[in-house]
Amino acid sequence: MIQKKICMVGLFGTGKTCLVQQYVHSIFSTKYHSTVGVKIDRKVVQVDGASVTMVLWDLAGRDAEQDISVSYLRGAHGIIYVVDGTRRESFDQAFELRELAQATVGEVPSVVALNKTDLKDQWILGPLDDSAMAAHPWHRLRTSAKTGEGVEAAFTWLAQHTLNTERKQP
Amino acid sequence: MQNDRVSPQPIVRVAEEPEAKTGELSELREILVGSERRQLEALRQRLDSLALDPEELAEHLPEAIALRAGRDRQLARALAPTIETAITESVRRNPQDIATAIFPVLGPAIRKAIAETMAGLINSINRAIEHSLSPRGIRWRIEAWRTGIPYAQIVIKHALIYRVEQVFLIHAETGLVLGHAAAPNLAVTDADLISGMLTAIQDFVGDSFQQEEGGKLRTFSVGELTVLVEPGPQAVIAAVVRGQAPESLLRKLQDTLETLHFQFAGPLAAFDGNATPFEAFRPMLEDCLETVLTTDDRGRASRTTHWRAWAVALALLTIVLAVLALRAQRQWDDALARLRTEPGIVLVRADRAGARWRFAGLKDPLAPDPSSALAQLNGDSTRVEARWEPYLSLDPKLVVERARRALTAPPTVALDLRGDSLIARGSASMPWVARVGALSVFPPGVSHFDVSGVEAVLPTEFAALKATVETDRVLFDAGSATPTPTTRGLLVRVAGAFGRLHNGTGEMGYRVELAIVGRTDPTGSDATNKALSQQRADVIRATLISLGVPAAVATATGIGTTSPLALPNPAEAARINRSVSFLVHLRPVTNPRKQGGSE
Ligand SMILES: Nc1nc2c(ncn2[C@@H]2O[C@H](COP(=O)(O)OP(=O)(O)OP(=O)(O)O)[C@@H](O)[C@H]2O)c(=O)[nH]1
Ligand SMILES: [Mg+2]
Repeated sequence: MIQKKICMVGLFGTGKTCLVQQYVHSIFSTKYHSTVGVKIDRKVVQVDGASVTMVLWDLAGRDAEQDISVSYLRGAHGIIYVVDGTRRESFDQAFELRELAQATVGEVPSVVALNKTDLKDQWILGPLDDSAMAAHPWHRLRTSAKTGEGVEAAFTWLAQHTLNTERKQP
Repeated sequence: MQNDRVSPQPIVRVAEEPEAKTGELSELREILVGSERRQLEALRQRLDSLALDPEELAEHLPEAIALRAGRDRQLARALAPTIETAITESVRRNPQDIATAIFPVLGPAIRKAIAETMAGLINSINRAIEHSLSPRGIRWRIEAWRTGIPYAQIVIKHALIYRVEQVFLIHAETGLVLGHAAAPNLAVTDADLISGMLTAIQDFVGDSFQQEEGGKLRTFSVGELTVLVEPGPQAVIAAVVRGQAPESLLRKLQDTLETLHFQFAGPLAAFDGNATPFEAFRPMLEDCLETVLTTDDRGRASRTTHWRAWAVALALLTIVLAVLALRAQRQWDDALARLRTEPGIVLVRADRAGARWRFAGLKDPLAPDPSSALAQLNGDSTRVEARWEPYLSLDPKLVVERARRALTAPPTVALDLRGDSLIARGSASMPWVARVGALSVFPPGVSHFDVSGVEAVLPTEFAALKATVETDRVLFDAGSATPTPTTRGLLVRVAGAFGRLHNGTGEMGYRVELAIVGRTDPTGSDATNKALSQQRADVIRATLISLGVPAAVATATGIGTTSPLALPNPAEAARINRSVSFLVHLRPVTNPRKQGGSE
């Protein structure tokens, strides 16, 4: 039995919970219930014929009052940084969060999900931002928890890479 | 791994030492012992690089192993992974060899396991039976039926002291599940989620309360469940317990966790989400699952209850049987009493086999057949068997009955036996009275027959004649004994009627007598009245004889005023008492033999 701990990290309201819901249960809701602490979900995926249980830790997003709890990041095999493509601060802070996570878990397979890609008219990320992100070894994807676009791909990529990557100590 | 890291350090330190210390002292040392030090160093290096001679090693290896093994477990620990790998490899290459080798061990182990399973099964069956027979068991069955929860779970719910329902072995860092064991028939599919949440909770508690190491959440409760969490450096063991977990359980969890850390140090350190190596630890986790039901005390109590229930049932049964036996006995006694008191029945033999009755004896044909009464007492006519030999009973009742039949006595005649005399009373037809009066042979048990108490009823024809005779009255003038001339016709009529009566009854064996009674009115002395009345009677008698009435059956009596005919009017009374009236007496013609026999 292979399991991988995956953490969802990002600013509040970027759609972490929605992505997990979309991925695990294929549902989406426009209602916003801010996550308190952490919520754990799991999904079993097949990677190269092996079944891998993805244990998804949906962490409460960072907000003005509270930073993300690094204890929840301990031992994570992979991280999904969720950026709300309509909010610049969520993009900026993704880099800070990356630093923070790395200090705890080291360099682990990571995905940066540029979420809410369905909201095209409000999208604020440009090519410049793309190159800024390219500086780091994280896999970039546009996702929408609403339409499901890129969701499966994000998690599958992570599943594959966590399975094939030897974990390095921080 | 540890040795590798530890051993080079002193060398490094020694090597570094001269470089670290500088100044005059080292210079002086170089001058004084410099060459010796270098020689020493060279020697030391030679010693270090000295290749181990296999020959020499072979010589010392067994001894070395024994020596080290005697000192501590380090060697075993070091060798274990290699040996495990070797065995795994061997099994992979040729399973048969290993199978043969371990068979002697495996056989008994399997037998033991089966025996234990069977014992457990029997135990649970016993318990189930025990509970299903007790009132409590029935209550639980109803509860199971009502709630739809399986009976076994209801039993556990009530009889439970505690039950370790699930054990989680969780990787401390990632919160991923390393192993999980659940009580049988407890479907758990979320072990990974639960493990994650348990870890998250631990993390949260650790973060929130800023406790130093060890200040972790050790227990918490969810409804009827208690979760015991025992943290270790690399792994956490958590047990979900229903009921009251004892202290010993915590120790057991700790032991298990320690064993894990000891035996799986390598896999724990290398854990990268693959829990397969920990499959081997599952039996240890399953060992922690235990169900402790109510102690023997309560078991014994319930057994006593059973015993008591059985005793009550037995007592009831005994009572029922006793009542039945008593009833059968009473019915039998009743039957015997009835047969013994029944006239005309002599019970010679009576025996009883179970509900079957057998009687034998004598029975007068006149005695009523007792079989229907006996069948009623027994309740089943087929179980009553009776053989009666006929005989003549001298029981008075039967004697009378037999006489009644023999004499064809009409119902108006009552028969009574006094000693051997049969006495008849009542009324019967004249022919019957005449016939039985003439009998000389009597029914069995009767020596004398007194029929005088029976009034012979006259046939209507004779009754009318008698009435004619008795209603007519011959009146006289005061003081006279001469009938008036008109009297003649009256006397002719009386004589005629009497004559017919006399003839008819004579044929029936009767003798008829005519009593001629003379009276007077009250005036005058009794003596003269008596004489006058006698005169009057005599006159009439003479006239009647002249008219054909046989003198032998006609008697004349003057009674004067002794028994006057009463009338309210004194004058009228006086008139009718100056008269002669008639009475007819009928007597059976006496049987000289009967009469003689009785006196
Ligand atoms: N249109 C659109 N809305 C989204 C998408 N993902 C999330 N949302 C909305 O964004 C809001 C926040 O989503 P959540 O998933 O709860 O955000 P979160 O990151 O879990 O927030 P915290 O738990 O507070 O950190 C909700 O109202 C969602 O409906 C998306 O892909 N497209
Ligand atoms: Mg959330």
